[in-house]
Amino acid sequence: MAAVDGAATGVQDQQQQPPARAVERLNTAVQQQLNLESVRTRANSLYKAISRILEEFDAISRANAVPKWQDVVSQFSMVNLELFNIVEDIKNVSKSFVVHPRNVNAENATILPVMLSSKLLPEMEIDDNTKREQLLQSMQNMPVSAQIEKLKARIDMIGAACESAEKMIADTRKAYFGTRQGPTILPTIDKVQAAKIQEQENLLRSAVNHGEGLRISGDQRQITSTLPVHLVDVFAANDGPQNYSDASGMYLKNTPPLSSTSNNSQGNVLQASGAQLLGRSAASPSGATVNTSFDNTTASPLQYANSPRSSANMMNTPSPQQQSLQQLQQQQLQRQKMTPQHQQLLAQQQFRQSSMNMGQSQLAQLHDMQGQGQQKFQQVISHQHMQFSQPLAAQQLQARQLASGAMHMNQNQMTQGNQLSRQLNQFSSPANNAMFNSAQTTPSQTISNVSAMMSSQPLFTRTQFGMSGGNRNLPSQNLSDQMFNMGAANSGGMMPIHQQQQHNSQGAFGNMQQSGQNLQPNMVQMQNTAQNHPNFQQSRPQNQQ
Amino acid sequence: MQHVEALEILLQGLCGVHRERLRIHELCLKSGPNLGVAASEVRLLCDLEQPEPTWTVRHIGGAMRGAGAEQIPVLVRTLNESKVSKNALRFFYSLGYKLDHELLRVGFAFHFQKGAQITVTVSSVNKMLKLHATDEAVPVTPGIQLVEVTAPASSENYTEVVVAVSSFCEYLAPLLHLSKPGVSTGVVPTAAAAAASLMSDGGGTTL
Repeated sequence: MAAVDGAATGVQDQQQQPPARAVERLNTAVQQQLNLESVRTRANSLYKAISRILEEFDAISRANAVPKWQDVVSQFSMVNLELFNIVEDIKNVSKSFVVHPRNVNAENATILPVMLSSKLLPEMEIDDNTKREQLLQSMQNMPVSAQIEKLKARIDMIGAACESAEKMIADTRKAYFGTRQGPTILPTIDKVQAAKIQEQENLLRSAVNHGEGLRISGDQRQITSTLPVHLVDVFAANDGPQNYSDASGMYLKNTPPLSSTSNNSQGNVLQASGAQLLGRSAASPSGATVNTSFDNTTASPLQYANSPRSSANMMNTPSPQQQSLQQLQQQQLQRQKMTPQHQQLLAQQQFRQSSMNMGQSQLAQLHDMQGQGQQKFQQVISHQHMQFSQPLAAQQLQARQLASGAMHMNQNQMTQGNQLSRQLNQFSSPANNAMFNSAQTTPSQTISNVSAMMSSQPLFTRTQFGMSGGNRNLPSQNLSDQMFNMGAANSGGMMPIHQQQQHNSQGAFGNMQQSGQNLQPNMVQMQNTAQNHPNFQQSRPQNQQ
Repeated sequence: MQHVEALEILLQGLCGVHRERLRIHELCLKSGPNLGVAASEVRLLCDLEQPEPTWTVRHIGGAMRGAGAEQIPVLVRTLNESKVSKNALRFFYSLGYKLDHELLRVGFAFHFQKGAQITVTVSSVNKMLKLHATDEAVPVTPGIQLVEVTAPASSENYTEVVVAVSSFCEYLAPLLHLSKPGVSTGVVPTAAAAAASLMSDGGGTTL
């Protein structure tokens, strides 16, 4: 600031003091190069701008506000540019001016003589001399003219280097200032490109925030490549991707060690746990050796045991075959929604079941002898036998009684498929109240025992369940409890008991305390009891609540 | 790409900490129709940068709404986050959640304190063509990366945090404009020049 002031005043002085003689000479020469008046005005305006900015800063700092850095920086660059321009203009003629303060005052009293002297400072003088000696030492043995030549050459080189450096600095400075202030120098993005960028940006935003464009369709959702490291142990070895919201009903087939030689194709249905049902569609398990009439007969899994819908559904499907189909389908659905561990255990169970089925195939054949022409009916019966076959293995005498009772029952009711299926349904869908209540007169004592066993569990005291009093005799309470003892011990192998809530497959097993879910020891359960054979005694008390 | 490096330099200067590499596999799970009253969404984040992959579960709740929220330049929303074990995925599957989509973020992040604990992540969002194939992920928008500035806040101090975040975002003004998640911004006209200046040697010219 002092220098600028000094320049302004110095200029003024020069103009005024030698009025006549020197004015024309200096002024014409100098004014060609630099209009000193304009320099003065520019300096003044710059001074005002800077002081204004400083005042703004003051106000901001007093108000403790956050300065808008963009504005500040732009203002600074403006001031900077202006100063730079002034300095450059003056530089051209700086040689013809001497800058010195106008008045001597306390501020500059000490330094003024130094400024005005032309002799170098002592330190500077020493430096000067040493450099001179250094320079000339190398050339002392050469004639003077050669020395002069060499020195000139060096000077030229240095001059050239300096010039190029200065030029570069000036260029970058101008470019730097230019971009800040001159929008025309900016490389403009044309509209097409801007639109493309905008579109991409929207794509990215929707992908991150909503997942658009990231969803894979169902058929691409199989894990074909190797899993990344962090997911390897998350998924079990046998497992596949479960539970996709895509309802295309994809299947992932594991290779279950299932025997398919069971004489009832129903067994195969139950053994088709290898196929995991993805999604909620009640499509048939493809690839299993099941009569495909199973598929799409019913699309309503019993979601809630006592919901009017499910019961109404049952009532609306009078055909026993359909009902049994529905049962089985629901069973399948339940199985297929299990976690892999459960599935594996279930597979093992089914193994046993199938083996037992083989052992008990005679029973089925007996039924065949009963002349039941309907294949499905037979399946139903044999399925029912499967229920009993495991307790047969466990407790042969009593189970045989049961089985024979069942046989008798079947013989009695052969002609009425409805009744049989009703009883069958009784085991699987307690919502089938109406049907069951109408079947009170059936002389199937043993089966009623079974149902009584079911009711022995406190859950079945629910009125909606509709177990009539006639079924309450519990002659074989022990057997029933043992048979139906889900057993907390069997926590691992529990089938999802519920048909209602498809999600709770893990929560339901073994917890007979859960009222809403464990209403039905369905056929599935019964199959498990064989495994519980050793545990019957232990787990019994657990069931008494 | 050059802009990304420039942004990194700028962030380095502003934050004062070193950047951390970021590689997160994010799985977004949606609840099935029978679970709960309304559909809910849960995100599982697996940090693949650690020597041992760590899992986090995050639930993003509803954002602040209302006239006041419109004026706040920053989106304020509830977020629940917790560390979980690697069984979380199976757990949620067994609860009935289904995989809705997954994505992989690769980039870097800065964590620093400036009025609030601010986290800035610059990442390329990649999608996987094959399920869970994180090694074969391709960018959703090649060449464009996502910059997120987040800071945790409580219901009492969220206004201060809002101020801190928005003022920090102003520092990034020459390079990019940040906006709420639902609003798009476009390219900043000075971005190229700002990036160039950030990338130049010395970072700035001396006068």
